[in-house]
Amino acid sequence: MTRVTSVAEVFHPLQDGAPLPPLATELKQVCREHFRRVDRFIELALLGSGRCAAGHTLAPDCGLYLGSGLGTMTSIIQSQEQLLRERELPTPFNFINTLGNSAGYYVAKNLGLTGQNLFISRRGASLPAALTAAWLDLELDVVRQALVGVVEEATLPLLEHRRRQGLPAGTAVAEGSHWLLLEKDAGAGRSFGLQHLADPTQYATALETARREGAAISPSLPDGPFHDSWSGAWLTQRLQQGGLVSLTEGDEVRGWDLFHFGA
Amino acid sequence: MPGVAIRGVGLNSALGLDAQSCVEALLAAGGAPMPLTLQGLAEPVQAGYFRIPDGADLFDPQRFARLLPAVVQAAAADARLSAAELRALPVYVGSSCFSVGRSESDYAAALAAGSPAAYPMPHCGYGGLADLARRALGSAGEVFSYNTACTSSANALLGAMRALESGRHRHALVIGAELANRTTLAGFAGLQLLAQRARPFEAEREGIVLGEAIGAVLLAAEPGADALCLHGGADNCDTHSITTANPDGESVLAVSQQALRRAGLEAAQVRGIKAHGTASPSSDLAEAAGLRKLFAKLPPLSVLKPHIGHTLGACGVVELILYASALQRGLLPAWAGFGAPDPELGLAPLTRPVPALAGHYLLNHFGFGGNNAVLVLEKRA
Repeated sequence: MTRVTSVAEVFHPLQDGAPLPPLATELKQVCREHFRRVDRFIELALLGSGRCAAGHTLAPDCGLYLGSGLGTMTSIIQSQEQLLRERELPTPFNFINTLGNSAGYYVAKNLGLTGQNLFISRRGASLPAALTAAWLDLELDVVRQALVGVVEEATLPLLEHRRRQGLPAGTAVAEGSHWLLLEKDAGAGRSFGLQHLADPTQYATALETARREGAAISPSLPDGPFHDSWSGAWLTQRLQQGGLVSLTEGDEVRGWDLFHFGA
Repeated sequence: MPGVAIRGVGLNSALGLDAQSCVEALLAAGGAPMPLTLQGLAEPVQAGYFRIPDGADLFDPQRFARLLPAVVQAAAADARLSAAELRALPVYVGSSCFSVGRSESDYAAALAAGSPAAYPMPHCGYGGLADLARRALGSAGEVFSYNTACTSSANALLGAMRALESGRHRHALVIGAELANRTTLAGFAGLQLLAQRARPFEAEREGIVLGEAIGAVLLAAEPGADALCLHGGADNCDTHSITTANPDGESVLAVSQQALRRAGLEAAQVRGIKAHGTASPSSDLAEAAGLRKLFAKLPPLSVLKPHIGHTLGACGVVELILYASALQRGLLPAWAGFGAPDPELGLAPLTRPVPALAGHYLLNHFGFGGNNAVLVLEKRA
């Protein structure tokens, strides 16, 4: 059986006009060295994964599954500014950090990981996409441990951040880094399972069963701005409480999956 | 493990506008880069480049919308899926840059118009290419977009194979896509990695020649009489450096051994290798060291980047299509232009096509961010 043996997060709901919260002091607590050429996306990934791994023994071949709908924003914005406004070449570290897996590189370096290292995106449902990939690898014995995270970075001003995503003015936005450590045959921790349903009818039935059993059911897209920062926060915060939890993936675009976490 | 079957392919590359013409050109004269000058900078960037011969402006932001649908439709047509199978078809995409070119163009246009509201990256996210594919096929299947630099579509293939193996899907479409954009060209220029000619494993190699391509493969679980099957593979992370694998070759060796182990193979059973072969001095060094450690006697080695350029995140799917299509025609692809070998590397690629035997082949991919991925391909008798 696969179990969740650790849960951790960084979560910052953001306000217009306010600066982004500083991360430097907290990063020192989880990083084995000072990484100089990193952007905020990488810092968020380092901080969340470092908190999740603290106190746990990660095998070098632990798989790393990083999900993100938007990916790194600061570095790509700076690269385009340098290239198109200033007419200069992007600085090498800005350019390298535009790649989604640069964050995974630093997380692996920080935690001593040498195994599979993936960056997976599915718009606002990147957490379920990363969880699905990890679940398949655990089931097929490709990995026995999986560090699964979702990271979303916000950039200032929030007015532009919302426009980039097509969000109406005033929509609540957040940045976050939400992580789970999944381990096969672990002695303790919540059980974790993925129920992949064939169609919407079967999905609705399974969802109703979970509800009857008392599971906390995640909201779905029509309920509001439920993108990865919010779904990551919803999940990691519920997992740190008691009770059954089910994360839903219930529309045509997002598939027909239910992620069940035991009490 | 029975593996998964390759049932359909679609391809645009510098070699041509469909898979058949691409592989025929590969096995005939091969391809060559064109000279490219990236204007609009204080100091223009000059490099070689392998472009898709579609006649459009290289940085036209509508090129993905024009080119990608036909590529995925070709792959789906090969596989003769029913309407219901197309509707359920999941889409796996691997790319380094996705549609960043569209953001560049819109931002550049806003700056040129003097708009005070101009801001960089007016579009964001990784979902646009999958949307184009789904619309072209009428698919409502799920989407996984992989962004792991030059291993992106190799990792998308691995993800799709595992989902097929688990029974999650019966079919999966895997796309590798990379089109020219200014950020990538300028970024590689800033890293001083660009060259005029792609010369992997040569003593005088100077760096990478970038290229563009869109490839799609249609995979099916439970192979029947299929001639070409994938038997999974492996990927790992080398934290020696964010831009290159450790030149001692240990991480290349480890990922290759893991791929072979998962496929139930010994190194001596490998009939040939599709090298990553970027022509970057350090990347070729790491790959050669890993291969020398893995093989007592090196199988025939093919390099494809001198013909199509380094297509970055697309290379996993695109080079699979070219290599597998050559195998299907009974030949291992070669590069006739190979010059003086680098004695430090101790290997040389094929310089003329040789017969491809039935058996297993390794396909190598290594990327920024320490990502290494190796795939196992079988040509059946």
